[in-house]
Amino acid sequence: MSYIRIIPSLLLKNNKLVKGKNFKNHKNAGHPKTTINSLSYQGADEISILNIDDNLKLNDQINLQSIESFSANSTVPLTFGGGINDIETATSIIKSGFEKIYISRGIFKNKNLIKNLVNNFGGQSIVGGINILKQNHKYIILNSKEENQDIINFIKFLEKQGLGEIKITFVDREGSKSGLDLDFCKLILKNTSLPCIFEGGIGNLNQIKDAIEIGVKAIGLGTLITYGDYNIIKIKSYLKNYNFNVRL
Amino acid sequence: MKIGILDYNVNNTHSVFSAVFNLGYDPILITSANEIKNVDKLIIPGIGNAFNSIKILKKKRYLDEIYEFTNFSRPILGICLGLQIFCKNLLEGGISYGIGFIDADVIKIEESNYFNIGWNKVIIENNSFFQNKEPKEKDYYFCHSYKLKFNSEHEKKYCYGYSTNKNIPSVIVKNNFLGCQFHPEKSQKEGNSLIKMFLEKY
Repeated sequence: MSYIRIIPSLLLKNNKLVKGKNFKNHKNAGHPKTTINSLSYQGADEISILNIDDNLKLNDQINLQSIESFSANSTVPLTFGGGINDIETATSIIKSGFEKIYISRGIFKNKNLIKNLVNNFGGQSIVGGINILKQNHKYIILNSKEENQDIINFIKFLEKQGLGEIKITFVDREGSKSGLDLDFCKLILKNTSLPCIFEGGIGNLNQIKDAIEIGVKAIGLGTLITYGDYNIIKIKSYLKNYNFNVRL
Repeated sequence: MKIGILDYNVNNTHSVFSAVFNLGYDPILITSANEIKNVDKLIIPGIGNAFNSIKILKKKRYLDEIYEFTNFSRPILGICLGLQIFCKNLLEGGISYGIGFIDADVIKIEESNYFNIGWNKVIIENNSFFQNKEPKEKDYYFCHSYKLKFNSEHEKKYCYGYSTNKNIPSVIVKNNFLGCQFHPEKSQKEGNSLIKMFLEKY
């Protein structure tokens, strides 16, 4: 059996970490290198870094050097997302020492992107990101050009492209501390055999426990890690007490 | 001692480089085939689609040089796909032919869409390459959907450890070749100790 994965999720803007609420109002949240270093020492299972800086040129030598310093400071696997729209950029990121690439908006911009990435790097290194917004009791996929796109059909489409992992982010819960949308998690878990990471809304340890109890195996944490007085060791010790299979 | 890390364009090269560097070594990145014979130990990272990667390895004339390297019994560490290329037939992305040093094929873990992504426990059955000093159960990070399938019982003796998840061949030791299906460069202390062992004692 594999271990439950606890995955800190960091947002990068102007070479600094930031954190916001509902994808807005980003505030400074520290230095990426030192944060990555300490999270990996605490025993995070992976670390995910999302670049939300529209001006960041990923092929720029200076930026690549700064991204390389992230992997040099991490003893656990890293995922990079944001602004990857072609194979060249993806290649630079992977070579800089990242194990996985996260694609979200790019899926909609270029229908062949996922397939091309899979043919180059293998499905295991490609994470498909789906941002979910709940509006008037309906679930909407952010950035999707099709209105009323069926979420299960969309996941089947991603599976067919050969990618290895799916990450669901609950946009309206981000920073809210109201917990994951467990009914929605159940629906996803029932409909795909791919590994799924869920993120958005976790504000206390109890909510992590609830999620694992319904079958969630990988959890992304933003607010809890960035602003709370929790750290990975504390979170995992708590889960271990409930006899969950965590790596400690 | 000169340590070379093979750069074949689709890998987390800098992760492997940092792991070796942080252990106090000064590795070099190999970017052309004729550099391979100048190093004492070779590390082959692995993230990539097998079909595409074998194509690149052939085009850059790396495969022949790596084969020569094993013939001279110089130590190689192959990571993930860097292990798989030493097998015979690789099925990912279409059939491609590896070096054939290990009598095994590389097949899907399961017929369905199964990806093994995350930390698994590995049971080390033969601890001799760790000089019997280390614990027999270790946690390593895996990220793959294809695995080794040995073609004979005889070849299985080179497999020193299996993962508890899906019983995946995880550590291969054959002559001076050390292969691991997981990523030691991203497996914290236990991964580090494996790399250190390869650099110091192998």
